[in-house]
Amino acid sequence: MAQPIVSKKTYALTFGTLLGITALTTLLGFIDMGSLNTVVAVGLAGVKACLIAGFFMHGFYESRTVRIAMIAGVAWFLIMISLTLVDYASRFW
Amino acid sequence: MAEPLALILREQFHAPEQQRETATLGMWIFISTEIMLFGGLFLAFSVYRMYYPQAFIAGSADMNIALGATNTAVLICSSFTMALGVHSAEVGGRKLLNLFLALTMILGAVFLGIKFTEYYLHYLDHRVPGPGFLFPSADPPKAEMFFLLYFIMTGLHALHMFVGEGILFSMILRNRAGSFSAEYHTPVVLAGLYWHFVDVIWVFLFAIFYIEGLHLHKW
Repeated sequence: MAQPIVSKKTYALTFGTLLGITALTTLLGFIDMGSLNTVVAVGLAGVKACLIAGFFMHGFYESRTVRIAMIAGVAWFLIMISLTLVDYASRFW
Repeated sequence: MAEPLALILREQFHAPEQQRETATLGMWIFISTEIMLFGGLFLAFSVYRMYYPQAFIAGSADMNIALGATNTAVLICSSFTMALGVHSAEVGGRKLLNLFLALTMILGAVFLGIKFTEYYLHYLDHRVPGPGFLFPSADPPKAEMFFLLYFIMTGLHALHMFVGEGILFSMILRNRAGSFSAEYHTPVVLAGLYWHFVDVIWVFLFAIFYIEGLHLHKW
């Protein structure tokens, strides 16, 4: 299966969206939302990471084999961070 | 002079597409190990952030948001020029590929320049962890932990940027030697994957170091 060439228009749209989300992240950062500030900042960073990985890094166009390798790294990181934080958060219970 | 056909398709592969996919898979496995490398640091940050929330938000409020946001925009621009470079390579535009690789390198250098300006400002403010560390809060050692993680994580990221600049430079040299064509340009694509990955890491560094305490920022 040959990889399709991603169009310049797709790259430009991705680029514009990324800049927009960066501006949104910075503006929302000035509002005090309590613990939601962290959730919003990291959540929007996650959206940006998905756009970069999907369009710029061709994640949406790659074969399943390559996608498994992409997802594996992220999945193991999420397992590591969630289990460790659950451990540290529950030590004083 | 173009590389001979034997170099384009190595003997262990039966088709160029299989060779390309194998190289891409290998690059993604390498990127996974990089996720683990930075992952350990993100984990350390999260644990200390959970234990010392006030000190970490105070540390974040001390960051220079103008420089940080500018740097994020610069890095996103460099990812865009890199993506356009890969596009040029795919359609066989050698001159455009040279141009976009050079633009990406320049934007990367701008990022590093701004980053080290920030380091210098931290140094003037006595925010470098060690005997000279000063921080106007009730518990400076906890804020010192924030700055320690800040310098290690952004420093490791900056190191990756230097490596990326070297990779891009070698791509320019190989392109000038005529090594890439519409049929064979996998190294450019892999260099692009590395550059975009370093961008992704910065997106998260920006969120945890600059945005978290922004609402407490003193002007």
